[in-house]
Amino acid sequence: MDTKKEVLSILDEVLSLGGNTAQFDVDTPLLGALPDLDSMAVVGVINMLEERFGFIVEDDEIDGSTFETVGSVIAFVNGKLA
Amino acid sequence: MTLPRPRREAFYLPGPLLGGRFCLLTRAPDPIGTLIFVHPFAEEMNKSRRMVALAAETFASQGWSTLQIDLTGCGDSGGEFGEASWRAWIQDCHDAWIWATANLPGRLVLWGMRTGALLLADLLRSTGIAAPLLLWQPVGNGRQHLTQFLRLKAAAEMMADTDAKSAMDAARSSLKAGESVQVAGYALPPAVANGLETASLGLPDAYPAPVVALEVGSEGREDVTPALRILVDRWQSAGIQVRAESVGGVAFWQTLEIETSSALIDASVRALETFS
Repeated sequence: MDTKKEVLSILDEVLSLGGNTAQFDVDTPLLGALPDLDSMAVVGVINMLEERFGFIVEDDEIDGSTFETVGSVIAFVNGKLA
Repeated sequence: MTLPRPRREAFYLPGPLLGGRFCLLTRAPDPIGTLIFVHPFAEEMNKSRRMVALAAETFASQGWSTLQIDLTGCGDSGGEFGEASWRAWIQDCHDAWIWATANLPGRLVLWGMRTGALLLADLLRSTGIAAPLLLWQPVGNGRQHLTQFLRLKAAAEMMADTDAKSAMDAARSSLKAGESVQVAGYALPPAVANGLETASLGLPDAYPAPVVALEVGSEGREDVTPALRILVDRWQSAGIQVRAESVGGVAFWQTLEIETSSALIDASVRALETFS
């Protein structure tokens, strides 16, 4: 399973980025850098991570730092899948 | 040559609550069989209405009738959402099956969308019924879906400066105390929440009928989501004849505007061909 590819496709879909995530790398900043990534969008991303990867995110597992960069989201997903 | 328009019949299947269960039968002329459709949860049901109507019309042109049943307390059925229970919903599905078996010619196919797939899995495990299964964007885990539904409330309250975690905690403890919780205009009763929370998309080992699971994703996506792939692999190793496919389209059960995916209907027609 390609976690990075899946995470980028989720970000692309939730934020309607039209394929721009193809240029994203693990260091690409998210929260604060993408204007459309507000709290509702974050909920959308969390829901989609859950459905696509098949885990459940508990309320105390995530905070702002989870969505700091592409890499931090990937690390979170890999942690959940481990 | 123009195909004859499918005939639509609406009726109420009597049930324990006043008004009964609303059913809509889209009849194919000289049908091969009938699909029994079980709808998604809460707002997702409304968002998917148009898509399901379009699919039922197309299926009718291919020789398949569709029986849609509104679950107790949903859509045009009797009762309020707050009076429903997961158990009553499984009974609704069972009653639809019994009615279709007695009244409709040809074979029956079970068609479940989102949490409708979970209800069907519970029905199949509890009754031993076996029929070809068509699943649209199935929810794999009921607890996950409940969490997401409650998160709608948390997100709404987050906007009003309550923190999300305490909003979620409050909702869960109300349910535990046997009280309904208001989420996005729905009074969610504990009898629905508890059933949903423990539901999972498991099929009996060696389930004797074919299963097709379809997901909507971005155009050109090669495989279904990792979560569905794991499930399908598990079914295959349990001796179940299952196929999963990702087709292009948007998440029409969630989008703000009413959307449709013709690719999903096309893929469903191909699935029906393998069921006949």
